[in-house]
Amino acid sequence: MKNLSMKKAITLILVLAMTVTLFAGCGNESSASNEVTPTAAAEATAAAEATSAPAGDESTGAYYAADATAESIVLDAAAKGQVGNWGLGNEYEVQALLSKYGQPTTYLSQAFDMDGFDDDTILLASAMTYNELGLVKNSYDGAYGYGDSVKYIDMNDEGVAMLEDNIFTTKEFAEANPNTVKAFIYASMQGWQYACEHPEEAAEIVYKYGSSVSSDHQAYMASEVKKLVETDMSGATVTNYGNMDESAMQQTLDLAKQYISLDDSQAADALQALTLADIMDASYWEAASASDGTFDAPEKTDVSIQLKWLPQAQFMGYYVALDKGYYTNVGLNVTIVQGGGDIGETTAVYTGQVDFGVTWVSNLIAANAGGMNLVEISQVFQRSGLVLVYKINE
Amino acid sequence: MSKTTNKRNGKFRTKSISTILYPVLFGVIIVVLWQTQILHKIIGADTFTLPLPGRILGIIQDNVPGIAKNVVATVIVAVGGLILGSLLGYLLAIVATIFPKWGSGGLTIVSAFNAIPIIAIAPILNNLTKDFSKDPNIRSMLAKMLVVMLTCTVSMSINAFRGFNELKPFSEDLMKSYAASKVTVFMKLRIPNSLPYVFTALRVSVPASVISALVSEYFAEYIIGVGRQIRENIVLAQYATAWAYILVACFIGIIMYVILLITEGILLKGRR
Amino acid sequence: MKRIKKFFQSNNLVTLVWGIGLIIVWEIGAFIIEGSKRSPENVLPHLYQIVASVFSDKLVSNNQTAIQIVMSNAGITLFRAGIGFVIGAAVGFLLALMMNLVKGVEKTIFPYLMIIQMIPILGMAPIVLAITKDINKSRIVIAAILTFYPVATNTLAGFKSVDPQKHELMYSIAASKFEIYRKLLIPSSIPYLFTGLKIAAPMAITASILVDTLQGGGGLGCMLSQSLRHAMSIYVFWQIVFVSAIIGILSYYLMSVIEKLVSPYKRAKIKG
Repeated sequence: MKNLSMKKAITLILVLAMTVTLFAGCGNESSASNEVTPTAAAEATAAAEATSAPAGDESTGAYYAADATAESIVLDAAAKGQVGNWGLGNEYEVQALLSKYGQPTTYLSQAFDMDGFDDDTILLASAMTYNELGLVKNSYDGAYGYGDSVKYIDMNDEGVAMLEDNIFTTKEFAEANPNTVKAFIYASMQGWQYACEHPEEAAEIVYKYGSSVSSDHQAYMASEVKKLVETDMSGATVTNYGNMDESAMQQTLDLAKQYISLDDSQAADALQALTLADIMDASYWEAASASDGTFDAPEKTDVSIQLKWLPQAQFMGYYVALDKGYYTNVGLNVTIVQGGGDIGETTAVYTGQVDFGVTWVSNLIAANAGGMNLVEISQVFQRSGLVLVYKINE
Repeated sequence: MSKTTNKRNGKFRTKSISTILYPVLFGVIIVVLWQTQILHKIIGADTFTLPLPGRILGIIQDNVPGIAKNVVATVIVAVGGLILGSLLGYLLAIVATIFPKWGSGGLTIVSAFNAIPIIAIAPILNNLTKDFSKDPNIRSMLAKMLVVMLTCTVSMSINAFRGFNELKPFSEDLMKSYAASKVTVFMKLRIPNSLPYVFTALRVSVPASVISALVSEYFAEYIIGVGRQIRENIVLAQYATAWAYILVACFIGIIMYVILLITEGILLKGRR
Repeated sequence: MKRIKKFFQSNNLVTLVWGIGLIIVWEIGAFIIEGSKRSPENVLPHLYQIVASVFSDKLVSNNQTAIQIVMSNAGITLFRAGIGFVIGAAVGFLLALMMNLVKGVEKTIFPYLMIIQMIPILGMAPIVLAITKDINKSRIVIAAILTFYPVATNTLAGFKSVDPQKHELMYSIAASKFEIYRKLLIPSSIPYLFTGLKIAAPMAITASILVDTLQGGGGLGCMLSQSLRHAMSIYVFWQIVFVSAIIGILSYYLMSVIEKLVSPYKRAKIKG
């Protein structure tokens, strides 16, 4: 209730501020940003002072000291309102990190690119280890070439990690086609194993299947994705590909419940009522990993899987399985459907356009809260690939 | 005199009643079909991708302050961009009329801008307006307004140019025979003649301004606006909430359009 | 014939001068950006850099150079845009005809035509997808939905602009309704129809690029967002910006050419 009236007050102030600035002609450098959330900003500075040693550490330069703590960097960037994320369901880990250090959970919207980080409008920018981080550090075509002059805060180290790429389908499909599901998981994991053992070759294979990613970036991506598949949140090595670790899933679900905010009260209630049993079913993966590769005749042989994005090494396991004939070996004829748009993979699977999908666990949770009946059948990435990248003083 | 006005009023009244009644009736039928899910059967959608009106309205009711905040942001962008774009378009049309040879080439260039998709313009403008203000809200609002401006300029400039030049036969000759100056011809003949054309342009621009405001919000640096909410909710598969915002977006458009029609009715009263 | 040629030549010259003016503005901007930004090619590169990237034979991805990627995807997008445009224009014209024939129809559906324009593609897409079950068909349908409105409004305005005296004349010679349309209304609405088509043609292309981004599978929109993510050379993005603008201008020109072919009397008037 208190929260609501506060929201109202902020709204009012915001509206006033915007009207004023509009009348003022938008021309002058406005201080509206300070007016937007005066309380939050004040709290933030207070907190920053309390914990002492804010970033920079009196060293020269506009950025952060090489040895600055994660806490001091988060506090400084949050106080300046220069923490970036893409939103659209990717923001929960960053919000959890901001909350961890007592900051408001607002962030700037990062575009498709890292231009905001490049031109210093974002001091602490979201990046996936296998994609944006490579673009920031490396210097091939399209990349920014920062090399070692950037460092990052890892969500896994901060204890706010959420699980990402998985394989999911609808509950109805899984129940009606158990053999297909098991065979699909088995062949996909074979693909992932091969891809992780031979990342360069896997990158080449993805490239062959109509990739729109440059080959340099593809190779980088493959090497980084391998780490996410073979290491868990605590840094321990994972050997059983696609393992569904309940504690990591629980952490993801708990954070999702805290930070997914839904305007639809019906969906919001449904979200809070979700349990692990509503979003995952490990039985198919267990059967697949215990199998020797022979399955009862699949109920459906022609199946499709929709990726979360355009073909790139992030999905190398499926392309390798397709290329090496692992899917054919288990009697499946698989079509890989490109993602990469605003009609999400959750919707595509739900409407029956495709049979399987690759999505982030948090997206699956939000979709189920909204009324879908999706179920995770295998967890491919064992740790969070999200980091917050910042520049360090030379 | 009074008789004719009375008659006119009477006619106007029955006319305006049917103008309101017909679409409202049509709307009610659609809503009834929608709520009873007959519409879903006709087009083959389910209640998840096309949620029921009752649920959508419930969500709007629950989130009035949050929605109001987003509406204000969107309206500022749409109206600001519409005004800027229409003024610029009208100005271009004037220039094109004064220098017909050079002007029409300019109009082609302007229409080229319209051929660049918003999803390409928005990131460019986002980057170009970075130095405008330290406040991300202000500078992203400017970027969004410029996007809307570009979409509104073209239809206005083309239509207004037509309005300036498609004069009633012999009217220009008549003015010339009075030895009227070019300025007089402009003020007395061309500008009044362009008015209906301006409204034709606005009838296209008003919906376009709202839609491009929504799309520009997808890419804006500062997270606010009805469009951004629609995208967030579609991506998160919260279709009921997304439709609540879509409904709100439609209302913004309708209200702007009604304002346009009223203005048109007042300004063009003597002509029709 | 000779005079027509001359007319075209002078027009080309004008456009050329405008184009050069635009290039100068761009380059000034590029020089400023180059001095103030770390990665100027992301904000506003020099034009020669973009041109160089067109002719560079460096493989950007999947054994294709930047321009090969852009061109092959432009084909996909243009194909969808073309079909969408034809459908949209036909529907728009028929709607205008229907609205003019039956007044009740205009009153009933005109507000809803406007409202349909207000529904963001993102909201519409899942429903269209549910109906067509195919993303590429959905893309064409959505491109059509986004283009019919300017055609419909402009054509309707054309029908209404007909001089009442001409109407009365037709009545006085006891012309049938069909004949009135064939001889009077449709011919006199043609300039308006083309105004609509000239607006709609570039819109069909931008709409088609926008709907590319709904899902993967090729098209300029897909490559544009991929390039914006820096997954490959950023110059792919800049090339797409120019290619889409050029296609837009060409589509506008195409409409002008068709207009001149269809209505020869106008040609005389413009030159007059």
